Amino acid sequence: MLFDAGVILNNLDYLLWGRLGQGEPGGLLLTVLISLISGIASLALGVPMGLLAWSNPGLTRRLLFWWADLIRGIPLIFVIFWVYFLVPALLGGDVPGAMSVILALAWFTSAAVMHSTVAGLEALPKGQSEAALASGMSRLQTLRWVLLPQALRNLTPSFVGLFASLIKDTSLAFILNVPELTMVASQVNNRTQLYPAEIFLFTAALYFVLCGGLSWFGRRLTANRTA
Amino acid sequence: MSEDTSPIIEFRRVEKAFGPHPVIRGIDLSVKRGEVVVICGPSGSGKSTLIRLINRLESLSGGDILIEGKSTARLGASDLRRLRTSVGFVFQQFNLYPHLTAHENITLALDKVLKLSKAEADERASGLLARVGLGDKGNQYPAQLSGGQQQRVAIARTLATQPQILLFDEPTSALDPEMIGEVLAVIRQLAESGSTMLVVTHEMGFAREVADRVVFIDQGQILEDAPPSQFFGATKHPRARHFLKQLLSPLHADGE
Amino acid sequence: MQLDWSGILSGPPVEWLKTGVATTLAVTLAGSLLTVLLTLCLLTLRLSGHKASQALAAAVTELFRNTPLLVQILFWYFGAYNLLPLGLRHWINDDHPWATLPGNVPLLSPEFLASAWGLGLFTAVFVAEEIRAGLSAVSPGQSEAALSQGFTRWQTLRWVLLPQALANSFQPVIGQFLNLMKLSSLATAIGLWEITYQVRQIESYNSHALEAFAVGTAFYLAIGLVMGRGLQRLDPAKRRRPALSAAPATPVEVRDAV
Repeated sequence: MLFDAGVILNNLDYLLWGRLGQGEPGGLLLTVLISLISGIASLALGVPMGLLAWSNPGLTRRLLFWWADLIRGIPLIFVIFWVYFLVPALLGGDVPGAMSVILALAWFTSAAVMHSTVAGLEALPKGQSEAALASGMSRLQTLRWVLLPQALRNLTPSFVGLFASLIKDTSLAFILNVPELTMVASQVNNRTQLYPAEIFLFTAALYFVLCGGLSWFGRRLTANRTA
Repeated sequence: MSEDTSPIIEFRRVEKAFGPHPVIRGIDLSVKRGEVVVICGPSGSGKSTLIRLINRLESLSGGDILIEGKSTARLGASDLRRLRTSVGFVFQQFNLYPHLTAHENITLALDKVLKLSKAEADERASGLLARVGLGDKGNQYPAQLSGGQQQRVAIARTLATQPQILLFDEPTSALDPEMIGEVLAVIRQLAESGSTMLVVTHEMGFAREVADRVVFIDQGQILEDAPPSQFFGATKHPRARHFLKQLLSPLHADGE
Repeated sequence: MQLDWSGILSGPPVEWLKTGVATTLAVTLAGSLLTVLLTLCLLTLRLSGHKASQALAAAVTELFRNTPLLVQILFWYFGAYNLLPLGLRHWINDDHPWATLPGNVPLLSPEFLASAWGLGLFTAVFVAEEIRAGLSAVSPGQSEAALSQGFTRWQTLRWVLLPQALANSFQPVIGQFLNLMKLSSLATAIGLWEITYQVRQIESYNSHALEAFAVGTAFYLAIGLVMGRGLQRLDPAKRRRPALSAAPATPVEVRDAV
């Protein structure tokens, strides 16, 4: 099988940044943008929920976990569709595809962030909170100054892993015709018809560099910690 | 029978290094059939490594170990396995298989390594469990047994392959004090039945009453090797004397 | 916001939904079987002790873990399928009544094959990694004990280490199979008539988006629940606990997690 790199080179700019010149970022650039925004949103949503669940075991934690299991019990594609169809129905007006994807990804990933946060807090030695409380700190202070800083530092590799998954999940934006990398690659394939292997292998390679690089970085962080 | 006096285990100028660190420095040691040898020494002295070399859990860096007169320095895979079925090893951490019952822990090797029939394996296992006082615990999993009981099952498991030589690596160090006695009792019974045993331990009472010889090893070398009466009563080497003092009266050891 | 359930619970939509559920179940089953097979292959490579096969397994793992499943499925369908011999492809495209599920679901179609293969391979990589992690959590004393008794390396793996590794990793492994079921929704991108495809079909047929998605969601949740419960029954750790009836011994030390 001859590998024709020509099709890649001819479409390289489109694959990498879409129609940026016309104000429509796409391709790899859009993938990275969506990932960053969703990632930050999922942290902003997930960590506080994790704190809530951890400090209020019992009904609150059960409700939050139940909600998280519900979200993760359906395919991510469905969550994207729900956001795309439900939000306009409830709030009126349309939601652009990219925004739906961002919201859906943030919502979906925040469930995992919440679980990780709870696990990270529980993994800390009991002596930490005992020492803080024994010196007169309130529960809130203990969380803010003693427990959370340690937990977040320990959780960084796990969050990096979640972020790598997030990047892969952005490929689902394909379903709403959002021009991120996978969608764009598919368009090129439909147009040129003759080079599917080259196109999708190249696309895979781009993701590989992005996600693989992140995973490697996350492993380095864990290694440094346990050293 | 001239065989009774020739050594069953013989260390000849044995050396072992982990990377650049020598742990065993030229050891010669001879053990006769039926002898019970207690090996003691400070931590890091190489005493565990010494017996782990016998069944090749560690490999030799130099010298040779002869078992029943045959060199074991360069054994092929199947010969090594045969050696291991005739040398039993009891670990400090018991290392029972947690996913199997006590009975199954014993029959596994009988089935897979010795290829005994199910009936033979079951009979042998039940007999051994009864011998260590756990005849009714065959169906229990290790997690349901106390530390002392687990170590006794481990001993029964080791006896299953009917080994010629028994090696014990600090068999009671991981036990709560009230269980040490039950395990030492089983080991004592084995000693009195004539098994050849090397026991690495800190239990000096056991050494005094059961051992034929006590060997003191420090920094990879044997510094004292004597019957208990002489070892405890008239210790020759100063480091051995210091060690005994630390062991037997820790609050008064320094300032000799 | 009015919801009209009759729009999707009668007429063509019902047939479409039936086909969708049957296809999702079929591709999940086929993918899962492939996963089991491929996991065995991967583990054999990983544990073989030969540097070359270990490197191959590691490379495959890294490759398939760090690329999106969607891209993989697109590759298998558009890129790799056409590499199959022409005769084989013609045979697959013929009608095969023995390979057709009720509801006119063809099992031998490029879409089904590419989806099942893509899902199976992707999941196998993750399952093999979970088992490998479970293996490294087994204490080294276990293999020392087995070797001391004269077991070969393979016997040690088979009877002592892998059973424990599987018990250690069972929960994450179940999670991976449930993931496979949910990820089957991606096959909609290549036109497999599974639940997601059919739901979108209904939506474009009579615009009953919310109703259709609600039904689709319910199906996925239900399948997930049943699969999850069923798989939990197979948990080796759960079967290992005989009812503690008469005299419970007091374990002094907490042993390795069973």
